[in-house]
Amino acid sequence: MSAVETPASSELTRDELLDAYRVMRTIREFEERVHLEFATGEIPGFVHLYAGEEAIAAGVCLLLRDDDYVASTHRGHGHAIAKGCDVKGMMAEIYGKKTGLCHGKGGSMHIADLSRGMLGANGIVGGGPPLACGVGLNARVRQSDQVAVSFTGDGGSNQGTFLESLNLAAAWHLPVVFVIENNGYAESTSPNFHQAGVDLIKRGEGCGLPGISVDGFDFFAVREVASEAIARARAGGGATLIECKASRYFGHFEGDQQTYRAPGEVEELRRTRDCLLAFAGRVTSAGAIDPGELEAIDEQTRALIDEAVAEAKAAPEPDPSDVGTDVYVSY
Amino acid sequence: MRRKRRACACRSVAIFTATTGSRFLCLDPGVLPAATSAQPPPAYPLRVSADACVGIVANPASGRDIRRLVAGASVFGNADKAGMVFRLLAGLGAAGVPRTLMMPAGDGLSSALRRQLAGRTARDASMGAPFPALHELDMPITSTAADSQRAVERMCAEGVAAIVVLGGDGTHRVVAKACGDVPICALSTGTNNVFPEMRETTVAGIATGLVALGHAGPDGLRREPVLVVERPGAEPDLALVDVAVTSERFVGARALWRVDALRELFVTVADPSAVGLSSLAGLLSPLARGGGKGLHVRMASDPGESRVVVQVALAPGLVTKVAVADFETLDPGVPVRLGAGDGSVALDGEREIECHGHDRITVRLADGPLRIDVDAVMKRAAGTPPTCVDLS
Repeated sequence: MSAVETPASSELTRDELLDAYRVMRTIREFEERVHLEFATGEIPGFVHLYAGEEAIAAGVCLLLRDDDYVASTHRGHGHAIAKGCDVKGMMAEIYGKKTGLCHGKGGSMHIADLSRGMLGANGIVGGGPPLACGVGLNARVRQSDQVAVSFTGDGGSNQGTFLESLNLAAAWHLPVVFVIENNGYAESTSPNFHQAGVDLIKRGEGCGLPGISVDGFDFFAVREVASEAIARARAGGGATLIECKASRYFGHFEGDQQTYRAPGEVEELRRTRDCLLAFAGRVTSAGAIDPGELEAIDEQTRALIDEAVAEAKAAPEPDPSDVGTDVYVSY
Repeated sequence: MRRKRRACACRSVAIFTATTGSRFLCLDPGVLPAATSAQPPPAYPLRVSADACVGIVANPASGRDIRRLVAGASVFGNADKAGMVFRLLAGLGAAGVPRTLMMPAGDGLSSALRRQLAGRTARDASMGAPFPALHELDMPITSTAADSQRAVERMCAEGVAAIVVLGGDGTHRVVAKACGDVPICALSTGTNNVFPEMRETTVAGIATGLVALGHAGPDGLRREPVLVVERPGAEPDLALVDVAVTSERFVGARALWRVDALRELFVTVADPSAVGLSSLAGLLSPLARGGGKGLHVRMASDPGESRVVVQVALAPGLVTKVAVADFETLDPGVPVRLGAGDGSVALDGEREIECHGHDRITVRLADGPLRIDVDAVMKRAAGTPPTCVDLS
């Protein structure tokens, strides 16, 4: 019998814990604020808010390097923040301003920053997975240990592009981690109706990939599973499918009346399953972090979001002459 | 959620009795053999009733955790579990159980079962005994262990005569907390299970049905040991197989597989052929199940302390070495205090409790749930009514 080496412990340092909290709190405050500001009518287009699912973005993206890539969804603010995109640049982009990350041309659904490995939020359902496969192929050809992470929703996991990407990643042994953010609603439709009782992680197995399911409200659980999947991809072990079960607090889009949700459902989730409350409770009761430190982060984050909104509102819009820039790429 | 109702004709031509339905359902005490076992039958209220209801807890989350990635364990798909429940219903129906009560199970389990039941053709239905009526509990699903616990509490309140559990050690642990003296049939759908058994569910269904209708016999039920974990200011918790103390602080993905962090281990059974922590104990000092004793093992915190190095199959596909400082037998009823230090306590392989510094946490071996011994029930059923009715 040969002994199999167990991977090194993934115990988090104090700094890593504080960083994780900061990232999740930033996402939460960002989304809560956009929820309020959108109601004023100043923000063009649509926004799709991530509040409630922070543990997934933080649990996965904090394990990635700047040269690892993330392909996101229409609900991409969380992934962008967790991947290190500038919060002020993001807010300005959502407001459609020239100082935005994409010069105001993409808006909420196309926030991207290639220097941070954020390929972009994506307005096309199921549009991300094939992009992640491209990154994976690039890494394999260049023999780099970069990894691509693709986020998809429960609804998006029914798309042909998603299933094709699973198959391609398996067949070509690509370093991709597919994360399904199962929040129980494809827009307004429950999986009870848009799937015939599907065991989502078996979709991975159907294409020859390992699949695993985890509680998406639990930062530590998501991180542990993602850490394994990412390490596996980096080491040449190929792709993995992870299903993270969580829930979103706001509607599919801002303006969605959410009549499809049970009365008190969101209040109950905020009270009993909230990832930030759970995280804070755990790190303070374990004595690792002082509650005062978390409160300080809360205040700093709110101040940052206030500044981001104020600056975004004051920033200039793109002028007509910008319509021809950022369209073509020269090699 | 839609409920599946099946018309249940309690009169039946069961595949292995030649009797009429009414004979099948009337219990003639003169027909039961006298108790032959040396051990007195366990004192529990035996619900003998033609209206017996059997509970079914099939955990959609079992067999799907991080050990799929780190240890090459296979995923136990929910369609497979649905098939197991389908076959279980066939067995229960054949034994004459008229009603079953099931925990609603997401991730494809309940849906796949409904499809299988709907697909059961008239021809299939005419060949065997009718399936019991299957009712799903009307309860919210949180996709956490609380679901199984709530389901069992509801089933016991409804007066089920037995509960069939499809799950791993973790699922059975949660069920054991809530089932009291209602007998359970423990079937494995998890990863390297020590407590539940791998068993074809058709026969498990027949055996459970016989128990539910009062045909268990004196050896049909076995009292299982548990480890009770107590700490001030919290409800006591329990483990069916092992309690492990690890220096890993955070309850992350729950599955315990980093052996370098292991500090202490308590087990109810020490089987050297098992996979998992209890086999560590088994390789040091094998203890048969039902022997009335447990084992307490302390790991070496530095190489100088280590007395024995054991090579253990910690999880499917994962064999590793563990340095042991010492071990001793665990007597029932005697509380043993855990060593001091930060870390977490894993119950049946899943990290459940965080402990810090000098928390006063104790472990003691005690009596646990009643388990249906399928082999014993079927052995007693052989050649005796209602399974075999001599017409000569």
